[in-house]
Amino acid sequence: MKSGMPRRARSGAPFVVLGIALLVAPALAHHGWSWTDDGQFRLEGTINDIYIGNPHATLDVDVEGAIWRVELAPPSRTIAAGFDEDAADPGDEVVAIGNRSRDESERRMKAARIIVNGATYDVYPGRAPPA
Amino acid sequence: MLEFLSAIEASGPVEALKRSFYVYPLVNALHILSIGALLTGVFLMDLRLLGFLSGQPFTPFVRLMRRLALAAFPGAAVTGALMFGVRATDYVANPAFQAKMALILLAAANVLAFRQLPEPRDGPAGRALAILSIALWLAVLVCGRFIGFL
Repeated sequence: MKSGMPRRARSGAPFVVLGIALLVAPALAHHGWSWTDDGQFRLEGTINDIYIGNPHATLDVDVEGAIWRVELAPPSRTIAAGFDEDAADPGDEVVAIGNRSRDESERRMKAARIIVNGATYDVYPGRAPPA
Repeated sequence: MLEFLSAIEASGPVEALKRSFYVYPLVNALHILSIGALLTGVFLMDLRLLGFLSGQPFTPFVRLMRRLALAAFPGAAVTGALMFGVRATDYVANPAFQAKMALILLAAANVLAFRQLPEPRDGPAGRALAILSIALWLAVLVCGRFIGFL
């Protein structure tokens, strides 16, 4: 079938290329916290939209006319922290405490704690500041 | 377009998937399983075309790997579409998602080009397309993984 074909040396080249591609890829992420800035960040605004679902719950928050995406935990964890669909409504004021995106042009943060209607929800208790 | 995507997000099965503790991770796992089977079929077929795995009889091995890949693709597509539906309006704007879809179209075009070649398709043109296939599917894999990180 292919008897006339010259034998090639076995090469791991494709895998090396993949490895390099993964190493040099930018460290942006929804997953985990590596995409966020180290310093604590506090955002105050009006809830525009609430999403309690997979893969992560999110809030869209209007801060002086600009919409921020506030990422919370996966839905099970967010609901376990007490923040379910009845906890807030669009139009409510919210304070989100966590870490913002390292990319300062991006209006996106990941919250460890949110405060809505006088109630505090620690969706990532280990990362929330002392109460 | 946005209305259509919003309608997907609000549809029954997608709405259930959104809230499910078990089903979403299982759909995710099935997506990974399908991708594993798909890329195994593609890569082993391509490597055989490139002259590796020469202990395997060419025609039946290539046919088996092609069947594996063709059987796995719909599984990957359906599970992927379900996960896409959960936040369709977000994903459609995600650069990694956009790149992944474009690369899948290129990979499909590559399959069509390959099928134009005369059997047994392991000449220079076939080998070039096999290398392109490996590169495209690796890129699809990496872009897919990056959807959650952009």
